[in-house]
Amino acid sequence: MMDISDLIKSISLFKPETTLIVTFMLAMILDMAFKKSKNIAGYIAIAGLVIAGIFLFQQTGVNYKAFANLLVIDSFGQFMKFIVLMSSLIIIVFSFFSNELHNAHTKLGEYYTLIIGMTFGMFLLVGSANLIMIYVAIETMSISSYVLAGYTREVKRASEASLKYVIFGAVSSGIMIYGISILFGLTGSLNLFEINQFLSVNNVATLPLLLSGLMILSGFGYKISAVPFHFWTPDVYEGAPVTITAYLSVASKAAGFAVLLRFFKTGLLDSVPGTSEAWQLLGNIDWHYVIAVLAVLTMTLGNLVAVWQTNMKRLLAYSSIAHAGYLLMAVSVMNDNGVSAVLIYFVFYMLMNLGAFFVVQLIANKLDSENIDEYNGLGYRSPVLAVCMTVFLISLAGLPPTSGFIGKLYVFSSVINSGYIWLAIIGVLNSVVSLYYYAKIIRNMYLRDVESAKTKLVFSPVTIAIVLMLAIPSLLFGVYFTPIVEWANYSMNIFVGN
Amino acid sequence: MDLITIAFYFFSALTIVFGAVVVFTKNIMHAAFSLLFAFFGIAGLYVLLSADFLAITQIMIYIGGILVLIIFGVMLTTRITGVDVKTGKIGKIQIGIAGLLTVLIAATLIMIFSTSKWYLADSKPLDSTVNEIGTALLTNYLLAFEAASMLLLIAIVGAAFIARKKH
Amino acid sequence: MISEFGIILLYFILGFVFVGIALVAAYFIRPSHPNAIKNSTYECGEIPIGEPWVRFNVRFYVIALIFLLFDVEVVFLLPWAIVFKGLGWFAFIEMIIFVVILLVGFAYVWGKGDLDWERPKPYIAKLSDLVIGKKKQ
Repeated sequence: MMDISDLIKSISLFKPETTLIVTFMLAMILDMAFKKSKNIAGYIAIAGLVIAGIFLFQQTGVNYKAFANLLVIDSFGQFMKFIVLMSSLIIIVFSFFSNELHNAHTKLGEYYTLIIGMTFGMFLLVGSANLIMIYVAIETMSISSYVLAGYTREVKRASEASLKYVIFGAVSSGIMIYGISILFGLTGSLNLFEINQFLSVNNVATLPLLLSGLMILSGFGYKISAVPFHFWTPDVYEGAPVTITAYLSVASKAAGFAVLLRFFKTGLLDSVPGTSEAWQLLGNIDWHYVIAVLAVLTMTLGNLVAVWQTNMKRLLAYSSIAHAGYLLMAVSVMNDNGVSAVLIYFVFYMLMNLGAFFVVQLIANKLDSENIDEYNGLGYRSPVLAVCMTVFLISLAGLPPTSGFIGKLYVFSSVINSGYIWLAIIGVLNSVVSLYYYAKIIRNMYLRDVESAKTKLVFSPVTIAIVLMLAIPSLLFGVYFTPIVEWANYSMNIFVGN
Repeated sequence: MDLITIAFYFFSALTIVFGAVVVFTKNIMHAAFSLLFAFFGIAGLYVLLSADFLAITQIMIYIGGILVLIIFGVMLTTRITGVDVKTGKIGKIQIGIAGLLTVLIAATLIMIFSTSKWYLADSKPLDSTVNEIGTALLTNYLLAFEAASMLLLIAIVGAAFIARKKH
Repeated sequence: MISEFGIILLYFILGFVFVGIALVAAYFIRPSHPNAIKNSTYECGEIPIGEPWVRFNVRFYVIALIFLLFDVEVVFLLPWAIVFKGLGWFAFIEMIIFVVILLVGFAYVWGKGDLDWERPKPYIAKLSDLVIGKKKQ
């Protein structure tokens, strides 16, 4: 029998997610009821997300294992949930201005509802402390994202993207659940806390533990598009609507990184006191090196292939793979500083990456193309947009005085502080390579095809305002970043129970 | 050999043989129907492991649902016989790498399964498992249970949206 | 030790074996004189044309897909029904939430017309089609 007081407390802490469920159903029903109004589901989704955000804010400082240890509510989860929530909000706003979505469908009811469904899945994933729960959450977000990736079904590459996403997703979640079953066989539990306890008392053979860990990592790696599991990324990013591409590159990754960090810290941390500096992991496996190798592969491949891309969405896809590599670098140090660096990086990454994708979307709205040559002379055709795009790209490249620089600074300093100088050097070399392809776009915008300056591109003031709302913080946080860093340092402790 | 051992080998053979047919046959209709027997064999194995609820689920969902869906899917295609599932040329290097990986993974798994020390639960006579599963779903796994309903709802919306012709 | 379901399984196996024996016995007892006309597909006396495999309409698939999802729901209902007596109201409320969430999905597919069986609209030939020189629509 269940402890009723635990249940009541759990339900009261489940308010953000409950709000999302109710929003999902309301958006669906009202969208069917009001056939005339085009974006009603979108407005309801925004309202629901705002309310969920308020409930989420109320959970500040709470550390609780809810629903019989299925879900953990802690400040780390709260931080990641805010990232997911903010990007969902921004993406819904972007979608109001997307021509490709509105041309393909008269109504976008399912689109907004599925975004809410995906947000719900990611909220669950961020808080999950049980392997079954992790699996259910990953499937919830995956199924929504498969449909969203192919939302403009009539476009051939969108259906292709959706199909590829489903097939790769099915394989990777199949491998993951196989890994989960092996881990269950070894430890006799699906609960991360119990797995931790079992591993700290009993001696488990290294090879099966390594194998099951790698298999589970393949599921997480698929979500963050880390390298051996990244094959779907370019095609899906290119084929999906720009809004969904942007969404997958930020929110999906945030949830993936959250579960990755939680899996290691909750499941494998050796809770001997006095090991606060670097996590001592259970089982005789050097996970630092496993993740570090993944990080090196991910960023190197992402950056080297991005250099050859001519389609902006593909270029940003490979760039997002590279960014996953930088983040994995911070994960690989396996201490709380690394967690803090991941959190800081995500805030800035969200701003700059969503901004860059929104510019791509606006250009595609006008010119119906995502080719990199379409950006020629943009500096003269639409000066404000070009300046904003430059800010986003410089930030993505990680140059001062932008927020991307601060993010990279914290990632690299956490790596160097832990003594992985070789990893930091590879990271810096990668950043240099990335500078090339980001600078290529900036060069196209200002130094190419200056004659076309006559044909100005006019964008509505609202869209320009949205771009500015992302570009100004990207710059501002590059100079004044203390609040974000303080927030991240406050949130870096993943709750591991007592 | 007692009856249970014979039944185990029977169901294992059923699963493996029909699984092989699924992979190697050229007629996708035959592949779909062979899948039925492979699923049935797995259900039998579940019964032998005293996982009665899982066996019923296997029959209800995989045979009664997914297989029907697969057969409908096959019938939606224009050509059923003589479809070559492989597209394009597969080079010898790819086959070599795939073969090597398969052998490597199989060897690792067999080694792990035969040598590892697995967690052993207290052995107690198992009655029907449905009771325990029901209690677990409604108490300790309550959230997973309700999240599953949300997952199904999202799947319904997504599937109906994709399968619909127009709106 | 064999469980309750094991007994049912043995029953299944016996059923298969019994049918198998009947078929094999019939094979040996029955007279067998096949010829080409006997072996042809029976189509009410007509000579069959074309492949027996026809392409199915996509609407079967949509219905099957929706059926599958509710099939999964029913699987969850089964263990609930068995433990319901012991857990009482608590279990009842939990199941109500579960079912209501899925009912919304049901309302969705119903409201969007996915359950409507599209009737085929056959073209009925009119007399005017027979007029020479006028193309059929």
